[in-house]
Amino acid sequence: MPSSFCVFKYFFEHRYRHYQRAGDCDLSWISKIQVNQPAVLRRAEQIQARRMVKKEWQAAWLLKAVTFIDLTTLSGDDTSSNVQRLCYKAKYPIREDLLKALNVHDKGLTTAAVCVYPARVCDAVKALKAAGSTIPVASVATGFPAGQTHLKTRLEEIRLAVEDGATEIDVVINRTLVLTGQWEALYDEIRQFRKACGEAHLKTILATGELGSLTNVYKASMIAMMAGSDFIKTSTGKETVNATFPVAIVMLRAIRDFFWKTGNKIGFKPAGGIRSAKDSLAWLSLIKEELGDEWLTPELFRIGASTLLSDIERQIYHHVTGRYAAYHDLPMS
Amino acid sequence: MRIGVIGLILSPTFSFLEMMWRICPALAVGCTVVVLVPPGSPTPLLLAQLAGELGSFPGILNVINGPASLGPILASQPGVQKVTFCGAVEEGRVLRRTLAGQGAELGLALGAESLLVLTEAADVDSAVEGVVDAAWSDRSAGGLRLLIQESVWDETMRRLQERMARLRGGRGLDGAVDMGARGAAAHDLAQRYVREAQSQGAQVFQAGDVPSVSPFFPPTLVSDLPPASPCTQAEVPWPVVVASPFRTAKEALAVANGTPRGGSASVWSERLGQALELGYGLRVGTVWINAHGLRHPEVPTGGCKESGSSWHGGPDGLYEYLRPSGTPARLPSLSENLNYDTFGLAVPLTLPSGPEIGPSPAAPYGLFIGGRFQAPGARSSRCIQDSKGNLQAYVAEGGAKDIRGAVEAAHQAAPGWVSQPPGARASLLWALASALERRESAFTSALERHGVELKTAKVEVELSARRLRAWGARAQAQGHLLQVAELRGPVLRLREPLGVLAIVCPDEWPLLAFASLLAAALAHGNAVVLVPSGVCPIPALEVCQDMATLLPAGLVNVVTGDRDHLTRCLALHQDVQALWYFGSAQGSQFVEWASAGNLKPVWVNRGRPRAWDQEAQGAGPELGLRAARTKALWLPMGD
Repeated sequence: MPSSFCVFKYFFEHRYRHYQRAGDCDLSWISKIQVNQPAVLRRAEQIQARRMVKKEWQAAWLLKAVTFIDLTTLSGDDTSSNVQRLCYKAKYPIREDLLKALNVHDKGLTTAAVCVYPARVCDAVKALKAAGSTIPVASVATGFPAGQTHLKTRLEEIRLAVEDGATEIDVVINRTLVLTGQWEALYDEIRQFRKACGEAHLKTILATGELGSLTNVYKASMIAMMAGSDFIKTSTGKETVNATFPVAIVMLRAIRDFFWKTGNKIGFKPAGGIRSAKDSLAWLSLIKEELGDEWLTPELFRIGASTLLSDIERQIYHHVTGRYAAYHDLPMS
Repeated sequence: MRIGVIGLILSPTFSFLEMMWRICPALAVGCTVVVLVPPGSPTPLLLAQLAGELGSFPGILNVINGPASLGPILASQPGVQKVTFCGAVEEGRVLRRTLAGQGAELGLALGAESLLVLTEAADVDSAVEGVVDAAWSDRSAGGLRLLIQESVWDETMRRLQERMARLRGGRGLDGAVDMGARGAAAHDLAQRYVREAQSQGAQVFQAGDVPSVSPFFPPTLVSDLPPASPCTQAEVPWPVVVASPFRTAKEALAVANGTPRGGSASVWSERLGQALELGYGLRVGTVWINAHGLRHPEVPTGGCKESGSSWHGGPDGLYEYLRPSGTPARLPSLSENLNYDTFGLAVPLTLPSGPEIGPSPAAPYGLFIGGRFQAPGARSSRCIQDSKGNLQAYVAEGGAKDIRGAVEAAHQAAPGWVSQPPGARASLLWALASALERRESAFTSALERHGVELKTAKVEVELSARRLRAWGARAQAQGHLLQVAELRGPVLRLREPLGVLAIVCPDEWPLLAFASLLAAALAHGNAVVLVPSGVCPIPALEVCQDMATLLPAGLVNVVTGDRDHLTRCLALHQDVQALWYFGSAQGSQFVEWASAGNLKPVWVNRGRPRAWDQEAQGAGPELGLRAARTKALWLPMGD
């Protein structure tokens, strides 16, 4: 039987830890690391096969998963209207009567954040203020998604996004530095991003699909954490391979090792390719297995997704009514 | 061709998969199977019912639920040609002793412990997952002996303990648990082991979300167990892991090979060279590199040393159920009154029947040990008479001490011979064959004096040389690549030498049998101790003269003397890896009985002569199969 799992405690408390300060760059932490890919693949398969959650526990886990979502829209055709719709959906992610049926309508269930391009940050802030919500706005920055622009403009993007009101910044690392093994330069860059963010939360996107090997993923994670990231994120969502379990296992091991070495807890965010409610449950199991219950809060775990929310809503609808919903039954996001 | 009726005896904690892995190949080659399962397991009965519904062939699969004591009864039924036993080492030994001399051949698959070697160049987190697969899951066969390189000891222990805390135990059918329970007997065994280990000064760590009632046993990690304690020698029960440190890879090999168990092992190292060196050096049946517990029906799985020599899967698994075409079925040759304690204990006196007539023969032959002729320990000789009853020569009377010396010399020469490239081995065998041909007249005359016709003698010598050459040509590094579905990466099926092979040569075809057996053994990289034919050892001793100059010292050792006494010494010797006996039926029975000591694989002829001149019996693939053992080396790939 699934163990008792405290579901409702962290729904609406968006209290942030104090942001991470950059530590020293200690290359000896990564010099002897080797990651064996076939073994990691085997572990990934195992996790997905075990730890099934059913019935009312599944509904509870799904509601918990909603609180981890960074509701995202990163398309070329974003305008203020769809951003407004997104912000409203972030405030009211599940239909009111479904929440009433599950008796959680008064818990203030919202998603964790709203994630948009820098140019749309103003619209998002305005829409959320109009809805009367304290949900933070996250902005991507530093030449998202490829990161192949000059450092000067990348830093300027961060500053402008913070000025516009974004309280979380998702930066992309320079893959060139990883692939050429320039770890110190990578550390310096991320440190500069940290400074440019000021008090905003820094999420470092490693773009693991482009890093070449799991060993590089581990090393990049460590460097990003040493340089002061609050979160490490798997991917931009625009690569060919985005968030997969093997990559996540390696990053979670890096987070755990960093915690053992320094006592600081860094958060984790998979993004891209998480579309079904079943996937989200598997991710929650993964975090619980690898890191433990303390990491299952919005301060330390986010899921970057856009269509995931509708699938979760559909599953909740089925749990409450016993029927499968049509497309038009549930509000659009 | 297929053997016939197979009996299969399973241990109380058998798994359905293990049973199927043995039944299916047997049925596939055309044998019929009788399975003895412990009471309380209905699944095999269901299987037998389904088999019975096949219609045209009722009775191909039969299942009996019964206690283990029915095992010997099943094995001694007339018509049962082979018995395979899976279970604990002690029971296997007892079964081996009970079945000595019976008609059925015995295959043993014993013990469930495995080994994991974690070097400093490993991915420690993945290796910890390997430990979980090996010891703390429902798929693991038994306990685990874990060897950790000292430089990563602290790191590994910390990660192991963290990982143990996340394991969940409970009823096996619950989908969210990692490990179930295996019955009260397994629980008690594990409990006893842990208590003993604690009393001997070890540190015991247990963790995991497991119910504390019997039969559930939590995952256990034992460390700091003194190497000299009895627990280090005993088999580690499930779900216990015993961890010990090592300093270098060479030390790891010495520690790992220092137990009598030889089942399966995994090596964790990202350095290819180091991983392969450890993989080749471990004396086990299966080695996984950077993985643990992978299984596939195409890959042979078995063991060596005390894990028994029965295989399942792959070509070796099929050979278990086949015998060379043309060889007759085995018949029982049990002699009830064979006294195992006194067989071959004392050497009967052989006094000459009358005074010596005729010219005095040359000086007595010594024993050929360590590359030269030596005087026997007992300082006595026996006379060899020719077909007319006249004295032909004196040969040495070898005894227990000489056997000991011979086996030691063979062990010293073995590593050098193994490391010789196959081409060098081939050229030495060819040189020996040429030497044989050069002295053909000497051999022919020696054989003639024993009543062999001149024509036959010439044929014998020529065939002997030809066999030496043929086996020399086959002395390649025998191993081939298996492509396993669902695995990315190769699996190597290596054929490794057994070690020291003891051969008791038959009386028929004295030179040819000697040469055939010697050639097969040497070509596969073994060192040999031979006891030549009792009535006609002269040709063998003449070959030794050539071997003294051609072959490395100690590689081939020839000890003459009373056959029963020497057989006894060899069969009871714990450091002989295999024994081939071609002598009397009583001797065969004794050899089978005595092999239970170190569970060495034996090949006996039960007193029936073989036609050594025919290809099928004298130089067939059977010799090649028995002269080496298989090792499966798994190399999953990916970056």
